[in-house]
Amino acid sequence: MTELFELHLRRRDLGRLVAASVALSGLAACAERREKIYPYARRPPGVVPGVATHYATSVVRDGFAVGVLAESHEGRPTKIEGNPEHPASLGAAGVFEQASVLDLYDPARVGGARGPAGLTSREAIERDLAAACAKGPPPWFVLEPSSSPSLERVLAALRRRLPGARVSFHAPLANATRYAASELVYGRALEPQYHFEQASVVLALGADFLDGMPMSLRHARDFAGRREPGPAMSRVYAAETSLTPTGTLADHRLGVAPSELERVAAAVLAELATMSETRVSLPDGLQAALAPAAPLPEAHAAFVRSVVRALVGARGSALVVAGPETPKSVQVCALLANAALDAPGRALTFVRPVLLEPDGGAPLAELPDALRAGAVGALVFAGTNPIYSAPELELGALLGRAASTWCLAHVEHETARACGSVLAESHYLESWGDARAGDGTLSFVQPLIEPLKPSVSVLELLAGLASDFPASGHDIVRETEHERLALGLGKPKIADFEAAWEREIQRGFADRGAAPSLSPVLVAERAVPALASALAASHAGSRASGGQDLELHLARSPTLYDGRFSENAWLLELPHPLTKQSWGNAALVSPRTAGALGRRTGDVVELRAGPRRLEAPLVVLPGHADGAVTLELGFGHAISENLSNGVGVNALGLGVAPGAAAHVAVRATGTKAELALTEEHWTLADDEVVHELTLRDYTQNPPHFAQNLAAQPTLLEPFEYAGTQWAMTIDLSRCSGCNACVVACQAENNTPVVGKDLVRQSREMYWLRIDRYLAGSADEPRIVQQPMLCQHCEKAPCEYVCPVNATVHSPDGLNEMVYNRCIGTRFCSNNCPYKVRRFNWFDFSEARGATVLQRNPDVTVRERGVMEKCTYCVQRIRRAEIAARRERRGLRPGEVVTACQQTCPTGAIAFGSLDDESSEMLRRRREARTFAALADLGTRPRTRYLAKIRNAEHEEAGS
Amino acid sequence: MPALFPPWSNRALRGALVVAGILGVSAICFPMVYVRTPFVTHEHLAVDQPVAFDHRHHVLDEGISCLYCHADAERSAYAGLPSTDVCMGCHSQVWNQSPLLEPVRRSYFSDRAIAWNRVHSLAEFVYFDHSVHVARGVACAHCHGAVESMPRVEKTVPLDMGFCLDCHRNPRKELGFDAGRDLGAMRLEDARFPAHADHAVTGLTTCSTCHR
Repeated sequence: MTELFELHLRRRDLGRLVAASVALSGLAACAERREKIYPYARRPPGVVPGVATHYATSVVRDGFAVGVLAESHEGRPTKIEGNPEHPASLGAAGVFEQASVLDLYDPARVGGARGPAGLTSREAIERDLAAACAKGPPPWFVLEPSSSPSLERVLAALRRRLPGARVSFHAPLANATRYAASELVYGRALEPQYHFEQASVVLALGADFLDGMPMSLRHARDFAGRREPGPAMSRVYAAETSLTPTGTLADHRLGVAPSELERVAAAVLAELATMSETRVSLPDGLQAALAPAAPLPEAHAAFVRSVVRALVGARGSALVVAGPETPKSVQVCALLANAALDAPGRALTFVRPVLLEPDGGAPLAELPDALRAGAVGALVFAGTNPIYSAPELELGALLGRAASTWCLAHVEHETARACGSVLAESHYLESWGDARAGDGTLSFVQPLIEPLKPSVSVLELLAGLASDFPASGHDIVRETEHERLALGLGKPKIADFEAAWEREIQRGFADRGAAPSLSPVLVAERAVPALASALAASHAGSRASGGQDLELHLARSPTLYDGRFSENAWLLELPHPLTKQSWGNAALVSPRTAGALGRRTGDVVELRAGPRRLEAPLVVLPGHADGAVTLELGFGHAISENLSNGVGVNALGLGVAPGAAAHVAVRATGTKAELALTEEHWTLADDEVVHELTLRDYTQNPPHFAQNLAAQPTLLEPFEYAGTQWAMTIDLSRCSGCNACVVACQAENNTPVVGKDLVRQSREMYWLRIDRYLAGSADEPRIVQQPMLCQHCEKAPCEYVCPVNATVHSPDGLNEMVYNRCIGTRFCSNNCPYKVRRFNWFDFSEARGATVLQRNPDVTVRERGVMEKCTYCVQRIRRAEIAARRERRGLRPGEVVTACQQTCPTGAIAFGSLDDESSEMLRRRREARTFAALADLGTRPRTRYLAKIRNAEHEEAGS
Repeated sequence: MPALFPPWSNRALRGALVVAGILGVSAICFPMVYVRTPFVTHEHLAVDQPVAFDHRHHVLDEGISCLYCHADAERSAYAGLPSTDVCMGCHSQVWNQSPLLEPVRRSYFSDRAIAWNRVHSLAEFVYFDHSVHVARGVACAHCHGAVESMPRVEKTVPLDMGFCLDCHRNPRKELGFDAGRDLGAMRLEDARFPAHADHAVTGLTTCSTCHR
């Protein structure tokens, strides 16, 4: 607008322009513009314009695959769903899987190739790279951890061709401590597999098994099956530093600083070693090794006592889970405790490590010295960004010592910026590949689209260097699979391979691709002394630092992971599940620690670890461990053209690796930061919003919240309902707040991203948000996460205030929003007690960088001045109804699935018709713990919630 | 003092009031009428196409059914135009030297689409689904007119919301069921559709039927 006002027009000129504009405006209608239709010249088989198709592929992160189905509209991938047949997904998809489709269309993606002399071609770069690898000192490759059998073959060939080449597998959150721990306890590296459907009592030691582990989607589904209130309901104890989705659903949670976690784990094991039932399975001399250096605080000791009592009581169906990022000693304790509890073979099984070179290959820590010594020829970063993710190595200043530097990158990141040559990396929806899931299931990555920009995958790039391989990723993967199947059959060639291959690609994973379960034997000789020395070392370490400092806990970000998704606008804006912070991260501390510092949320503090320091805003998080500060990874990028520039702080900037013990000095700076916290937006101040109670109270004295649903008097005309009656039931006992539904809704319904400034003005556009409620004390809060979306009230307060009938009721019980009638008075939003209506303050859909190609063609793109809200995925309802009418049948039970329901890992959301007696939605709705949010307002919502039930030990009833 | 206004000024004033009244009413009515004229709805305007395709020849002379070329009408929201390979299915054999078919051959061999001009268009916020209308017994001609007798295709109905609602509010009458047409009998001959008790013709008039 400002440019307009800077026009220096004279009054008369302006008048002439206005007159001319008016006079000529009619001419626009004269030239008729015919819309064109472009049918296919040759129609690809199987494509019906207007009918979406789904292809099985896999999302691979840090080497672990999750099987997904990618939805394609005329060849354009728009949405990711879980693959119901894939063992790592079971139909669910997490936040990162859902958001991954946006990266494909990122306008800031690197395209093509850039050499030291400027823009060039992909072929030229590949040729130059091959030449650079062949001469001078041996090359060094830095890759993302991988489990790809094809990459294994390629690397073997590459090493034959380039003897001396070193390969590092680097990711900030990947580490090999679980392999080292099983090496000590079982004499070999093992990948633990947890079976939560078998576990009656679970102890999670720094383990976010519902959201932060390779098989989390499966864990969540298995776990949720044991959470129906009743005698079979499992009980979870969690000890963790910060709060995670697992801590949210835990029945008892203890906030422990990282060093205390080790002591709690040791205390649990020590207690088990004294008990006659469990002692027999444990090696001798364990008690002496575990003799604690310092007694536990009373709260911790009480927690340990009750945990051990419960674990031993459920021996055979008890499980101890240690997080993959916890120290080796914690994982050793967990393995031994599981052995004492008879978990192996039941709730715990093992497979051999899934990753190639699970120890990480050539240690990246040796790279700086090798660079200083001039012993590195071509230095190749493929899919990794160590200048950002390993700042302690100070590679930025040393890259010049390598003979040449190369980077295969998706976006211009810190390492790409510093490298001599940059090549665009293909998205997984554009390239072929293979990988193993967390349980070893061989999964395939199948592209849906030709690369949008000239690019190459890691596999193709390295295969080109190894040069004994076909040029296309498809042929490499196919060849690998042929070799594997042939090897399995003991034949050199398989006759009907084509049929087997087609079937595997269609399903997305290999038939006999799962890794066999192992039955390792405990070898105690090394475990006990190793545990003793590890505990002694960490006790010594914690005594040495002491003082006023806080323990530093680096955690995976639930929205940006380790920073690789930092250019994904959906994930940047996604509110943190617990702090509800959008567009940034913060130093998380407990209320008591914040009180000791004399600081509040929003104050900027300086954290200092040795010579390194960084400044971060403080966010007070009830339930966080005292004496510790949590920083989440993934933020603080500094590439000025990028979306993530200046968003949050880089937790790795302190030079501490995640999982390593460290202390930081915390000092207030006196400044305040402007945080985009959505927690206070849309606050619902009422007693009738959420309910939570313990299992004992629930079974002994069922509450019957539903009696407040008895029809309240209303002045509104009765409404005539007809046909199917849509309704939703959300089980708060299952909601971990993981955010998968929020992103799924955004992808399905073309919801825009608005940016930090507008989020600060409460103008975020989410149709589905998750409200976090805390009950109990600030030290031990009980958390209830409540997905809040349009409740589709039968007596909807929005409807009768709309002056233009833009929001009306449908006979099947939907509260409809008619965008074309809406004139933007916002009366409806003001009158909505649930605060779920969103107003388009600007033309977000036409904003610069809007990813038009990702949009769902079945949902209207809203323009400025229009109100919008959850529709219960009406496009999916109508699509199913049309299919049913076309085929002259009724709707099948469960035929309509909303986007949030489909992706939910725990199955918290159930949707269906009130007249379908077989539906899970209706079955849950009839439980005594059903309630309607704000029922006292007489809105009669179609969305019902089930009160959160905690399987707590005997204690007073919750509020 | 002579009269300021001559005697006819009374009549002039009355006349002016009448004219002003007519102008005022027409200022409101004219746009309402105008938007319903073919100038805006584009009815009865035969549209030129890049290929001189004549439906009369293909439908009446050769007896090719609508669904041979517009096959997606039964399974998709879009009836779709035939891809060039459908045209070439016949025209690689017959009239394969015809200069009229040069654009078709060029499209097929260069793998580039023929840019047809759209004749029937709906607003972007309308989600019309061909498949369900075809399955429920709405004849193609109900909305598209007698295409088989058009040398160049033209719109014969306005295709505005009023047109849709006429039928959706009273489908039995509009589709001829009140006059004895039997959808069940018609469709049961087709083996793809199992016999089903529910042949009720329903009119959906809730907003989200078409607007999502």
